[in-house]
Amino acid sequence: MSIAEVATSLLRTEETFSAYLARINNVILQPLLQSGSFENSDLFLLLNNHFQVLWGLTEENCRTLKEAFSASESVSVQDVYLVWKADLFLDRYIQYFSTFATCAVLQGFEHAAKNKSEVWKSHKPALQQFLADFSLDASIAVALHTVLHKPFRDQLQQYSLIFSKLEGAAGQCPESEAIADATQKFAKLLSFVSQVLDEACLTRSLWKSLGHKFTDVLCIAERRLLEDSRNLTVYASTGRSDRVLLFNDILVLIQGSNFRSLDLKLVWVDVAERDVGKYALRIAAPEEEFFLLAKDLKARAVWQWKLNQAVRQALNGKRDFPLWSRDGDGSDPPHCRHFSFTFRAEGRLKNAVYDGEWCLGRPHGKGTLTWPDGRNYVGDFKEGLAHGFGIYLVPCVSEDHYDCYKCHWQEGKMSGYGICEYGNETVYKGYFKDDMRQGFGILEKASSTKHSFKYTGHWENDKRSGYGIWDDKERAERYIGMWHEDQRHGAGIVVTQSGACYQGTFHSDTMVGSGTLLLEDDSVYEGNFTADLTFVGKGKLTFPNGFTLEGTFSNRSSQGLHTQGILNTSGEQQDEHMAKLQLGQKEFPVEMRWEGLLNQFLEYIRLGCQGDMEEAFTGFHVQTSKELRKSQEYLFCQRENEEVPGKVDVLEDIIAHQEEETLQSYLERAFQNSLHPLGKLLKALTLAFQATYSTIGANKHLLNMAQEEVKHYAQKIWEVYLGFLHLASERKGQAYAEDLENSGLNGPSAVLPLILPSFYPDLFMLYMLYHEKEDDLYCQGIVDLSQETDVKLLEFLDVRKHFWPLKDLTLTKHQRRSLVKDRCFLSATDCLRNLITTVDPQEKLDILQKTYDEIAKTISRLLGEEFNPSMDDLLPLLMYVVTRARIQRLGAELHLIRDLMDPTTSGGMYDFLLTALESCYALIQKEIQYHQSWHASQDS
Amino acid sequence: MMAIRELKVCLLGDTGVGKSSIVCRFVQDHFDHNISPTIGASFMTKTVPCGNELHKFLIWDTAGQERFHSLAPMYYRGSAAAVIVYDITKQDSFHTLKKWVKELKEHGPENIVMAIAGNKCDLSDIREVPMKDAKEYAESIGAIVVETSAKNAINIEELFQGISRQIPPLETHENGNSGTIKLGKQTAQTTRRCC
Repeated sequence: MSIAEVATSLLRTEETFSAYLARINNVILQPLLQSGSFENSDLFLLLNNHFQVLWGLTEENCRTLKEAFSASESVSVQDVYLVWKADLFLDRYIQYFSTFATCAVLQGFEHAAKNKSEVWKSHKPALQQFLADFSLDASIAVALHTVLHKPFRDQLQQYSLIFSKLEGAAGQCPESEAIADATQKFAKLLSFVSQVLDEACLTRSLWKSLGHKFTDVLCIAERRLLEDSRNLTVYASTGRSDRVLLFNDILVLIQGSNFRSLDLKLVWVDVAERDVGKYALRIAAPEEEFFLLAKDLKARAVWQWKLNQAVRQALNGKRDFPLWSRDGDGSDPPHCRHFSFTFRAEGRLKNAVYDGEWCLGRPHGKGTLTWPDGRNYVGDFKEGLAHGFGIYLVPCVSEDHYDCYKCHWQEGKMSGYGICEYGNETVYKGYFKDDMRQGFGILEKASSTKHSFKYTGHWENDKRSGYGIWDDKERAERYIGMWHEDQRHGAGIVVTQSGACYQGTFHSDTMVGSGTLLLEDDSVYEGNFTADLTFVGKGKLTFPNGFTLEGTFSNRSSQGLHTQGILNTSGEQQDEHMAKLQLGQKEFPVEMRWEGLLNQFLEYIRLGCQGDMEEAFTGFHVQTSKELRKSQEYLFCQRENEEVPGKVDVLEDIIAHQEEETLQSYLERAFQNSLHPLGKLLKALTLAFQATYSTIGANKHLLNMAQEEVKHYAQKIWEVYLGFLHLASERKGQAYAEDLENSGLNGPSAVLPLILPSFYPDLFMLYMLYHEKEDDLYCQGIVDLSQETDVKLLEFLDVRKHFWPLKDLTLTKHQRRSLVKDRCFLSATDCLRNLITTVDPQEKLDILQKTYDEIAKTISRLLGEEFNPSMDDLLPLLMYVVTRARIQRLGAELHLIRDLMDPTTSGGMYDFLLTALESCYALIQKEIQYHQSWHASQDS
Repeated sequence: MMAIRELKVCLLGDTGVGKSSIVCRFVQDHFDHNISPTIGASFMTKTVPCGNELHKFLIWDTAGQERFHSLAPMYYRGSAAAVIVYDITKQDSFHTLKKWVKELKEHGPENIVMAIAGNKCDLSDIREVPMKDAKEYAESIGAIVVETSAKNAINIEELFQGISRQIPPLETHENGNSGTIKLGKQTAQTTRRCC
């Protein structure tokens, strides 16, 4: 058969079909439309529209084909429009049949048959005659149904025939691919049509069989029944369920006269564990989880497949084409979906709306949960519970105020690091556990408000408990000490703005019994006194000059202080120790002071630094959602000057830098990076340290507490570092870095200089206060000795004459050797002045050693031989250099070096060098008297 | 493996009696190159075996001038031993020695080992301090005493050996000899293993 012959047969069928459509139009559709309204008549209106389009399409194509024939004798594949217009045909047919199916489902033909209008009645005989040609059935409704779909299906069959002829006629030609493609499309259309009609038929009979109670609610035009437990048996595990119906948009469980429907978009289906039943499917939906129990493997497989296909198509918002296919897009629906849902069940979520990502019937991923009372959570969910980072807003009783929790969550509870801005203008930044403040945290009420305060310390069960620092900004006082259930309880120190401080025992927020009160003039009072520092009751007052007053004190208003007691003027009590009494070391052993903070980090390591924990713990959050990032805040990070954080895998990195050579620079980087756990730890410790010792806390009686704390930090940070290293080695399956432990490296000593800059300003302030008096005396001594010329000073200090480096001096005409100043041992003095340029105690010691080197170099040059001095010679020379270097606050410097230098070098050279410098410092304080008498003896 | 114990030794005595000469002589042959030579005789170290231990002497010189006397406690603080030196040709220096002993007894570390060195015994023809006086005095205070000559290397080794012998071995501390707490604390911190 040739292509021309195929085209001819196409033309023939089209002409027949067109003629037939014309008859339907005349005999059925037009009278029906003119007969006025009846139930569902608008469906016929729609059907008519699609019909007209289809008719038009057929007519037009007939015409073009005819023209092609008349134009030339040779007809080509190009003229067989079915190939080129396949999509258009498909579209028109799909529309027609979809509407037809709806008509069938809603029993439109029955309604039409019962039409009571006059027009219709008068038309009936003609209609019956026409219908008789097509259907033997006496019922008009059935006949209508047949007449309006069968010819169309037949026509589609004709098209299929034509296609197979065409394929034979065309053979191998450029168009064969297009022909095959169109053939396939029409085949699909055919199966689509039969599926649509089958579904419609099933659905229609379902609606007919179900009572009004169900159909009133369930029956909607586009809904189709896809599977029925009466057809393929399954039982639902929830109670006694009579029937399970799967529609294209919902899953319905009928129970007696009740039913429940589940939106397929939020239905998850998978094979259940074996213990539930042999052939069970688990159905998960919001607030719902049950099983469908099938009789055999095959039944379960069919239900599972159908359910999944239905869910996927429901999610896609359109049916597949054809509706069911083995090959097509048979994939399962995605596990994670985005949807909005209102919870109904009693409980925490009742009437709350969740809009966000779902998985297996539960909020999972990012989403927003809004309660009718105004509460609102935006953030991460996992298996239905807040998990990850999220922001939770709780409206306060008074309007316009919210408690805002920006927190990490674990299984629905605040856990890990968070920031909470309460409606009452207080802000908490710290750790949570099980929805309560727990561990280390800072609670602050801004200083612009009334009763402003700041608490830095430990929490337990949402209350201040353990060691903590409280600043009462109105009283300008700081409490350092123990807490219990939000109250000061146990040992405590109170430091006041004036510099006075006291130590005592607190009970339920007030001091009880006697305490030690250190006054700003260095008097010490031991006994009973009030919070306003008034002596009341028994006590002993020791004056700075050593006098003591022991007795009973009372304070009547307007009459001042009264006492009955004994004044001891022997001065026996005078003791340096009293003026520099150190507080708190015994009461708050350094190991327990910030235990909760440090343990948080050690615990984190113990639990293996898991990915999501890392965020929760370190309090930063790598967010993809902009909305969340905007509201992100960081406690221990200063974001503004933060380097763009190249977030690296901490454990990977730590392994790569464990060698001693790279360790220091690694640690340095870690400490500067506030996203690194070590940097975070340092920041937290810095906050704790500043909370204790800066501003009001700068009190000389706290020096020992502070310095031992810094050393302890170094120790602990090293422990944390080793913990990370250990963990990293384990991960890598490497042996634990024993090298590091055997290398003799003193870890804490290596850490100390790296962390010291963070604490140095506050710590050094304490040293300065502690040495205020000595440094004053030293300063006077320096000023006094500075007036001397170099020669006079060398003479005064008993430096042996042959060490006087005078021949070194190059003098101008106007200078005389005996009168020059600040010209000798310049290299050594310059070197020593560098002492204040570093905070690292070891570097300070190195500077000291270099100073000695410079002295020796100068002398060696002078003598022309190696200088091998004994202390008899060295000490006067050193005195000279120290005097000329004029280092301010030398006492504070020396004490700091002494406290923070590596203790294992005790007795060694550095110890010796430092001792020599200390002895010079001691001597200069006394030198002023000696110097004056020396002058007197010189003058006489 | 032998334990190294670091022992701080403090040198006391008048200026000019030869404190640093004694140390120089002692360490001369085994100069410890780790120590910067620029501090010279002021601070020196030498390690000697003693029983099954090694004693590393950390020798601290002090300035002998009168005006520096008040500084001495800063130097002898934490010392395991003190070497107090006088010049046998100068009675005054022996007098000063007695003052040092008295001070150490009162303010020095508990159980500090005291060793008296009568230096310049090569000049015994102009001797002012009789050997007998020194011996009697040393006995009365329970101190080691030797006459030394730094110049001729007489009795220098013996002086330090004597000190070594007087240092209680480590085991004693562990048995709870409370009298040596200071020393024990010092040595506990600085005891290291040596290969």
